Amino acid sequence: MIKSIEEYLDQLKIELKDSDAASVQDALADAEEHLRAALANLKQEQPDRSEEEALSQVIEQYGSPDETASAYREVERRTFPGLARGIPVQQNSAIKRFLGVYDDPKAWGALLYMLISMITGVVYFTWAVTGLSLSISFAIFIFGLLFAVFFTVSLRGLALLEGRIVEGLLGVRMPRRTTFLQKDMTWLESLKTNLTDKKVWLSILYFLLQMPLGVIYFTVIVTSFTLSVSLMAAPLVQSITDFPLLMIGGMRYFLPAWSTPLFLLLGFLIWTITMHLGRWIGSLHGKYAKMFLVTD
Amino acid sequence: MVDSSALTKKFQKELNAGIASLVLLSVLDNSDEPMYGYQIAKLLDDYSGDVSFMKQGALYPVLRQLEDSGLLESKVEPSVSGPPRRYYEITAGGRETLVTWQGIWKQMKSFVDKAVKGA
Repeated sequence: MIKSIEEYLDQLKIELKDSDAASVQDALADAEEHLRAALANLKQEQPDRSEEEALSQVIEQYGSPDETASAYREVERRTFPGLARGIPVQQNSAIKRFLGVYDDPKAWGALLYMLISMITGVVYFTWAVTGLSLSISFAIFIFGLLFAVFFTVSLRGLALLEGRIVEGLLGVRMPRRTTFLQKDMTWLESLKTNLTDKKVWLSILYFLLQMPLGVIYFTVIVTSFTLSVSLMAAPLVQSITDFPLLMIGGMRYFLPAWSTPLFLLLGFLIWTITMHLGRWIGSLHGKYAKMFLVTD
Repeated sequence: MVDSSALTKKFQKELNAGIASLVLLSVLDNSDEPMYGYQIAKLLDDYSGDVSFMKQGALYPVLRQLEDSGLLESKVEPSVSGPPRRYYEITAGGRETLVTWQGIWKQMKSFVDKAVKGA
């Protein structure tokens, strides 16, 4: 017999323990929203009912924790996060596997993620640092506490946004809902909960680290892109214009004609390796983001 | 001995798997305003009368799946009492898909009716 909504949610969590952390968060949010609304409604219609009776009727209609869990598992089994859809085809030949990276949306997604992570990283970093320092320095005023509440709430929104970007580009399942704040709490209590919430601090840390990481990602991608394009372009440019590869003193050094295919190949190799590197970094970053942004 | 009740449960579940999407899309198509989960569940309860075809909790993952495939969109709005609510609304693509689905459902219904009756 389940005595409270919290107990129901706990049991649902246990039932879903083998599921993806992100879908557990979604399932708990859905259940909490529904059960609270249904219970409030039932109490209004039949005020003389005991709390326990009302709750058991609501749960009877919603489904027991194991029924609900199995409904989520069923749908989760059929839905994959965006780019994870394709099942990697086992290619036998090494060359095919090496070149197959061009066909892999995850690799392109990861490269795009690495490019934009510099911009998002700067925004996150600025927001986290500004919010933290203002919260601390405003703490001597009454309204400072309000500001701190606002800041911690904004972190949840940002974390959800980053999760959506990570899922879209890196193909890692992330939450599709923000976590719920406990209801009927004064804002002082909710601030206290936020300050003791490991997740809030982890997300601040994630946002701070995102700027240096973003700068590194961006630099790696832009450097190797430039390197590979200029290697490939050098022999071609030289054949159209009379611009030399090197100029030392008055001496102009040109590439010999036979080296043209070598340069093209080298440029192509560097870019292909970068794509592999990007895909690898993408999958690492996905795991890391999940660790920091998803509640377990 | 055949475990009839377990088999019936399984049959019901398999039937629901496809129909739930059609029903949810139709409900949201018929509604003038976005609806939240509990509202939809209540409306479906009114439709089904005393028989309960599916647990309300099973609607939510389907709603989410429909949203992921772009047939629905949702927004979260704070509520006066309790946690914020997620309001679902059908998209243009959802309407288009629904027309096809309703066509399939019509054909399916008459086909199944004929097969069951043996006409």
